[in-house]
Amino acid sequence: MIITKKREVQELMENIKNYKSFFLIGCSECASLCGTGNQEAIDALTEALKAEGKDVTGGFVPKTGCQVLGTKVELKPFKEALDKSDCILVMSCGAGTQAAVEIFEDKPVYPTNDSLFLGNMTRFQMFDERCSLCGKCILDKTGGICPVTACPKGILNGPCGGCKDGKCEVSPDIKCAWVRIYERMKRLDKLQELCDTVLEAKDWSQNIKPRTLATRPEKKEEKKK
Amino acid sequence: MSFKDILNSGKFVVTAEVGPPKGTDIKEMIHHIELLKGKVDALNVTDNQSAVMRICSMAVCRICLDHGVEPILQMTCRDRNRIGLQSDLLGANILNIKNVLCMTGDHVLAGDHKQAKPVYDLESVQLLSVVNSLNNGKDMSGNDLKGSTDFFQGAVVTPEANPLEPQLIKFEKKVRAGAKFFQSQAIYDINKFKEFMQYARKFPVKVLAGIVVLKSAGMANFINNNVPGIRVPQELIDELKAAGKDKALDTGLNIAARHIKQLKEENICDGVHIMAIGMEDKVPIIMERAGLL
Ligand code: SF4
Ligand code: SF4
Repeated sequence: MIITKKREVQELMENIKNYKSFFLIGCSECASLCGTGNQEAIDALTEALKAEGKDVTGGFVPKTGCQVLGTKVELKPFKEALDKSDCILVMSCGAGTQAAVEIFEDKPVYPTNDSLFLGNMTRFQMFDERCSLCGKCILDKTGGICPVTACPKGILNGPCGGCKDGKCEVSPDIKCAWVRIYERMKRLDKLQELCDTVLEAKDWSQNIKPRTLATRPEKKEEKKK
Repeated sequence: MSFKDILNSGKFVVTAEVGPPKGTDIKEMIHHIELLKGKVDALNVTDNQSAVMRICSMAVCRICLDHGVEPILQMTCRDRNRIGLQSDLLGANILNIKNVLCMTGDHVLAGDHKQAKPVYDLESVQLLSVVNSLNNGKDMSGNDLKGSTDFFQGAVVTPEANPLEPQLIKFEKKVRAGAKFFQSQAIYDINKFKEFMQYARKFPVKVLAGIVVLKSAGMANFINNNVPGIRVPQELIDELKAAGKDKALDTGLNIAARHIKQLKEENICDGVHIMAIGMEDKVPIIMERAGLL
């Protein structure tokens, strides 16, 4: 899921200081699991905005905030409250914010969160980054542990000299990705495979932004054009 | 004779290191280069060591040549993508810089520009194969070069890494990627290093043992607690302690000289790489005491 972090109220207030009334849009998916875009978060921000003398005309948690058409349909019943607001605040990720930008062409839309990474939830509201969406997955070669993400240098062929007692040079709080890969390959009895595989430099052309994808057969052709 | 020829001739080689300064005042650095001229077989020039921004390695390598010392260009993957690295390699080669040491490089978080974007488009193993490819007249994309390079390429190895096996797997990948010589991280336990060399001798590469002078027992303890891949045995720490404050450095120089002598006499490895870290003037003293001058 996409990991988001709530901005400090002060920073948010500075960004929206020119507006008076707000409609708040959350998201029931990632941002709810992060606690940044669920109903509780909307209620808390509503209180905070009121305390600063602002008006809140309404709020809503759409199913999937980054889904443009679905969110647009879900927001239809809120037309009046939306019209009364002079600014939309989006409490999900950068994709959710930009879905709102597409839906509300004539209204300013501001994010209340910073979007951090694609994460795994390890415990309640604790997140780890394990995949950086590089575009060409190599997990099949590395025992299922991603060195592009788990190694701060993205090294593809074994630990650097900075590895100390199995810990990463960059932070003693994280285990060296290549020690993890080594241990896992050893457990799977695949050390020979690890020795024999030299990974070539990654093809970063798979990562040129912005990326698009159409998987519906009839749309594939359209996209190409 | 070039560094490559000396190394291949079987002579016990000595390399040392020069760290480019931050800023354009190079008087002191040139003094160090002059001091080591004619004594060492080649001088490594560090590449923004510890991710601290300084004069680039290539310029200082050329200055070494101008002063009659053969340089080893250290090249890290931290600050340049594959275009920058290859382009700099071609540039270095036409400046007559023929030795290159391929490294991944300390992370920017270790240095003095922590907000920099780390590049790491390639890493050490891949950079070695790029050098190999340039030597064979092709760039990384397979395009023909108008004139190929003639680099003698090396890499680093940490014989005291913990855990060791992943490091050795990487060592073998470096050998297969074309590394011809290795300079090791500092070693202090000769018997353990012997074991590593028994393993390394199976490969067609030359190995230079890393030597770092211990200035005091405090420094040795600091290394043990903080520096990855280096372990100073207790008996050396005791020896430095027993020497007392005034004689600690002299004892450290003796330890370095004694180790070098043993490495050479017992034919354990192919040479040494002395990292003086600010004590370049002590390198000739160590060499003298080791019977190399
Ligand atoms: S290699 Fe790593 S970053 Fe790339 S897709 Fe696979 S898990 Fe994600
Ligand atoms: S210590 Fe391991 S995880 Fe950390 S930068 Fe080096 S290779 Fe990568």
